[in-house]
Amino acid sequence: MSTKKPPIELPGATAPSRRLPITPESLRPSLARPVGSFPLFAPSWPGSVSKPPPHRHLGTDYDTAWARRYPARLARVVVTELITRPTLAALARPHVAGLDRIAHLDGPVVFAANHASHLDTPLLLSVLPERWRHHTVVAAGADYFFDTRLKAAAFAFTIAAIPIERQRVSRDSANRAASLLASGWSLLIYPEGGRSQDGWGQTHRAGAAWLAERTGRPVVPIHLEGTGKILPRGSSRLRPGTTHVSFGRPLAPEGDARALAERIESVVAALSDERTTDWWTATRRAATRTTPALTGPDAGAWRRTWALGGTGHGGATGPRWPG
Amino acid sequence: MVERSVPRFAAARMASGWRAGAGVRVGPLHLSDVEVPEPPGPGWHRVRPRLSGICGSDLATVDGRSSRWFEPVVSFPFTPGHEVVGDLDDGGRVVIEPVLACAARAIVPPCEACAAGEGRRCRHLTGGHLAPGLQTGYCADTGGGWSLAMVAHDSQLRAVPDAMSDASAVMVEPAACAVHGVLSAPAGDDFTAVVIGAGTLGLCAIAALARYRPDVTTTIAVAKHPEQQSLARQLGADVVAAPGELRRAVRRQTGSWILDSGQLTGGSDLVIDCVGSAASLADALAVTAPGGTIVMVGIPGQVSVDLTPMWQREIRLTGAYTYGSEPGAGGRHSFDLAFDLVEHARLDRLVSATYPLDRFTDAIEHAASAGRRGGVKVAFDLRGEKRR
Amino acid sequence: MPRPGFVLDVDRSTPAILTWHGEGFRLERLPADRSRVIYAPEPIEALADPDDAIRHALAHPEGDSAPLAELLAPGMRLTIAFDDVSLPLPPMERPDNRQRVIEAVLDVAAAAGVDDVVLICALALHRRMTEVELRHAIGDRVYDAFAPHGLLLQHDAEDPDGLVDLGSTENGEEVEINKRAATSDLLVYVNINLVAMDGGHKSVATGLASYRSLRHHHNVATMRHSRSFMDQTRSELHSSNWRMGRHIAASGIKVFQIETTLNNDAFPRQMAFLQKREWEWKARDRATYIGVTKALGAAPPRLARQIFQGIKAPHRMTGVWAGEVEAVHARATESVYRQQIVDVEGQTDVAVFGLPHLCPYNVNSIMNPILVMCMGLGYLFNLYRGKPIVRPGGVAILSHPTPWEFHPVHHPSYIDFFEEVLTTTTDPVEIEKTFEERFATDEWYRHLYRTSHAYHGVHPFYMWYWGAHALEHLGGVIVVGGEPRSVRRLGFKPASTLTDALEMATDVVGTDPTITHLHCPPIMIADVH
Repeated sequence: MSTKKPPIELPGATAPSRRLPITPESLRPSLARPVGSFPLFAPSWPGSVSKPPPHRHLGTDYDTAWARRYPARLARVVVTELITRPTLAALARPHVAGLDRIAHLDGPVVFAANHASHLDTPLLLSVLPERWRHHTVVAAGADYFFDTRLKAAAFAFTIAAIPIERQRVSRDSANRAASLLASGWSLLIYPEGGRSQDGWGQTHRAGAAWLAERTGRPVVPIHLEGTGKILPRGSSRLRPGTTHVSFGRPLAPEGDARALAERIESVVAALSDERTTDWWTATRRAATRTTPALTGPDAGAWRRTWALGGTGHGGATGPRWPG
Repeated sequence: MVERSVPRFAAARMASGWRAGAGVRVGPLHLSDVEVPEPPGPGWHRVRPRLSGICGSDLATVDGRSSRWFEPVVSFPFTPGHEVVGDLDDGGRVVIEPVLACAARAIVPPCEACAAGEGRRCRHLTGGHLAPGLQTGYCADTGGGWSLAMVAHDSQLRAVPDAMSDASAVMVEPAACAVHGVLSAPAGDDFTAVVIGAGTLGLCAIAALARYRPDVTTTIAVAKHPEQQSLARQLGADVVAAPGELRRAVRRQTGSWILDSGQLTGGSDLVIDCVGSAASLADALAVTAPGGTIVMVGIPGQVSVDLTPMWQREIRLTGAYTYGSEPGAGGRHSFDLAFDLVEHARLDRLVSATYPLDRFTDAIEHAASAGRRGGVKVAFDLRGEKRR
Repeated sequence: MPRPGFVLDVDRSTPAILTWHGEGFRLERLPADRSRVIYAPEPIEALADPDDAIRHALAHPEGDSAPLAELLAPGMRLTIAFDDVSLPLPPMERPDNRQRVIEAVLDVAAAAGVDDVVLICALALHRRMTEVELRHAIGDRVYDAFAPHGLLLQHDAEDPDGLVDLGSTENGEEVEINKRAATSDLLVYVNINLVAMDGGHKSVATGLASYRSLRHHHNVATMRHSRSFMDQTRSELHSSNWRMGRHIAASGIKVFQIETTLNNDAFPRQMAFLQKREWEWKARDRATYIGVTKALGAAPPRLARQIFQGIKAPHRMTGVWAGEVEAVHARATESVYRQQIVDVEGQTDVAVFGLPHLCPYNVNSIMNPILVMCMGLGYLFNLYRGKPIVRPGGVAILSHPTPWEFHPVHHPSYIDFFEEVLTTTTDPVEIEKTFEERFATDEWYRHLYRTSHAYHGVHPFYMWYWGAHALEHLGGVIVVGGEPRSVRRLGFKPASTLTDALEMATDVVGTDPTITHLHCPPIMIADVH
């Protein structure tokens, strides 16, 4: 055979030095766009040129600006008013107290609430006074809510979530939140940094206070009760119930973020105390620093649960056997 | 003349449902020429009426609203009119005491009541030589005041003093009823009395209370129309209340409490009801103090009212019909007291209009709306009739 | 920048002027070239953070008082008295000034460790407030904390065991006030000074007093010598209260006075036209006016009343002062004047007062004919400083439907006053002499006042005395659009239209009279030179 057929290129046949790097990226153009001629279509990426690492646009980098433009806002108003509010009204029957404390307040504020359930955010958004309801963004854990494109878009749209780094200190996401506050958006943030593990509260982090100090806007402490029973952590079943939302007196920043964080925590604790006793008792206990802590007793797991009282979920149903 | 005519009574009743007094146009009353009644026996005299009043009971008859209770004790056709001042043939002026008891019926011996001088309680209202009829003006044989001539028995005649005007004299009969009403309740001490209604009877009762019941220190009158209210005051009412205001007025005067259902915890010791409607009786029961007395002077007819308070508060509910001797006034007769009262209280001012017989329709309609039109007593004036 | 008050001279191009008429209003044309309209100043600027201002006031008191925190100590008896449902008008949107102040006071008290705290509604002879009204005034938090433990009281001027006699002033006026208040280590009084008459020594000396004490200044003679109630320097009512207040202080009762003032932003945004000048009405205002009047015309009176009684004013706090009574009151009155004074040149022959649906005594209730008299001749007539708006012998024209209607629970003695007293006489002196005592001591009224929600038996008399100065001053009173029966019962003349009324007025004041229309509410005080 004189005519030499070109050697069949088998994988591994090319000398390693001449082999192109085979990466998913190098394969993708051919897979994604089978045919189509440039310039009508996008050019293919030359195989010899290394592609820059992709910009993932997820996590704290997810850009939520689109969700604050008018079309998205309008759509969100519709969703909030027609779906979220009626649903929450039926599901959680919120009893709202303390709106009079923020009656004179206007403009962007930081709402800082305790956090027990995924229901907290839609519940709060549905009971906020109208001047804030459609102009509030929600600080959501970048690692949890913004880990896929679909989740990110869904939360950015439905609750106007913005990603916040909660595992480590990230000036980036905080700066973004601060600039939103400065541009007129209010911010709902859970200073505990996540939902309650066992029904008791967790120690507050300084993020909310820091943002308030940074922007000079007041913090409105909020205490929520009852959502943990409707949609507890780790459950996907809804058990309709009653909730109580108490708004506290706005706290003006006074130059010390740490002190402000402590004030927020103590006000939320006092609001909780006020829910179970009355305002005068709670006020006197707050004045003498004897407000029961929201974080519960420092004890073993069962004693912590025991101290919560309550009846447990109960009503377990046995497995259904066939036949 | 009033005839027994069921369709006419029915028509009158319907018409009066539309407006009081309207029964006169369609009802059993009509004007006609009849024979002057013959004196039925000895002791009877012809009386030519001068003035003859229109009474509430007459209006009820004209409107077909009187109780069927009266049916057996009247006789048709009769000529109405029992408030009569008239001339005897001998020229004397008399007022007629209209009850037709044993004496007038020539029943001998008289029944127990008549023997005791209580003619109003006579057992023989249908007996004797007269047609049935409890009073002159309801009896076919005696004629009545709304005519040019009638007959009356000796026992019915009361001479009118010369000084007394006809207008005063025609008020004597209703005043006597009122006197009897206010004196038929037991006397007490520092009483508060209520008079419901400010028509002729009510106003006379107010005057009678002022004159013959010194134990009554406060009189509360219920009057609807402004003229009635001012007359009530002039005749001696201390407080005058509009119909809806009675309970509050009594509460104020007696210092009692008013409960949710409108009844008073205390109230008035003596209530004279000169209206006799369900509403007036209910008001009376609400404002009568425990142990108090309600005197029905107005004819009640058929009323529907809750009598529980009468039981629970031991309220005496009593009627007062016509007249007799008054133990409460030293045994004097109601008529004598009435003569005195009419002069003393100048009750002639209550006669606010007179009509000739042929304007009887106007007269009845005026009488039926007297209060609203600022009047009290309307009477027929027969003094000017040509054929008298 | 809010504009000050303003007196408009009516000319031929002046539009018809809004005139209140109970649960409604009319547009009335006034004769050109001899009529004036007095407009209230626009709402002045409110405090940006009222809570902060209150805390500041408590910490920096007026006069010779120490800061509140220094007056409080563990183990002491603290009583907080507050104004009742008659203030402010209309009731303000939540949170009410009283709630803000009481919460702030209690915050300080909690910090100081004060346990024995009682709240008293200083209602004098007014009706007791309902739970809903109390919650609105002092807030749910305070209500829920105190009411269930019986620590929220309403003053009872007829409680033989709840009053204490403090003797008499140098003028022989008996001073008898609430026992709990008098026996406390500190009495904090929380005011809303809606008009210049409110606050000062009147708070304690009237709000917490008994009938025996009140009759010394709530009587015809005092009222006639209060020219007007809005000018304390010329008000005998206030002189008497001041004597009593000083006597109370001299008796060793420590009063920490807190007074707050409001701007006159009385109506919600939707009803903005009510406080605009007619020629500045925009299409929207005109549309609202037409819509509202048509709707009210079609609505049954009960519904209209419900709607109007439901109005909550967007009043905002303009100032708060705390400390010694007289020093505090001077500052507060100055603030009220700053909001309400309008300079008016000269008196007038005829004054036109459009009466709104509300006066201090018919909040959540019915404006009965006696209150119409009191509102017209007691309040609007007295909204002056210097001289009355109308000249002596002039005519007041009131505009109100004056229905023959009474609230059976709130105003039982008013009904009797109307049925018994006014049918006898309308002369205040005669009324006072003949009837007052019987009504004041009537057991039934006493019972209703103490246990139900009724005004005291003597209260309608005070309403009548309130107008005594006007009755003496005026040559006649005409009510436009009022129910003739009730208007006549009041001793006034009914007229069906304003034109008729002006025509009738000429019988008293002569032809071509000068006319002044007080465009109130919002509230103002005419400073007549």
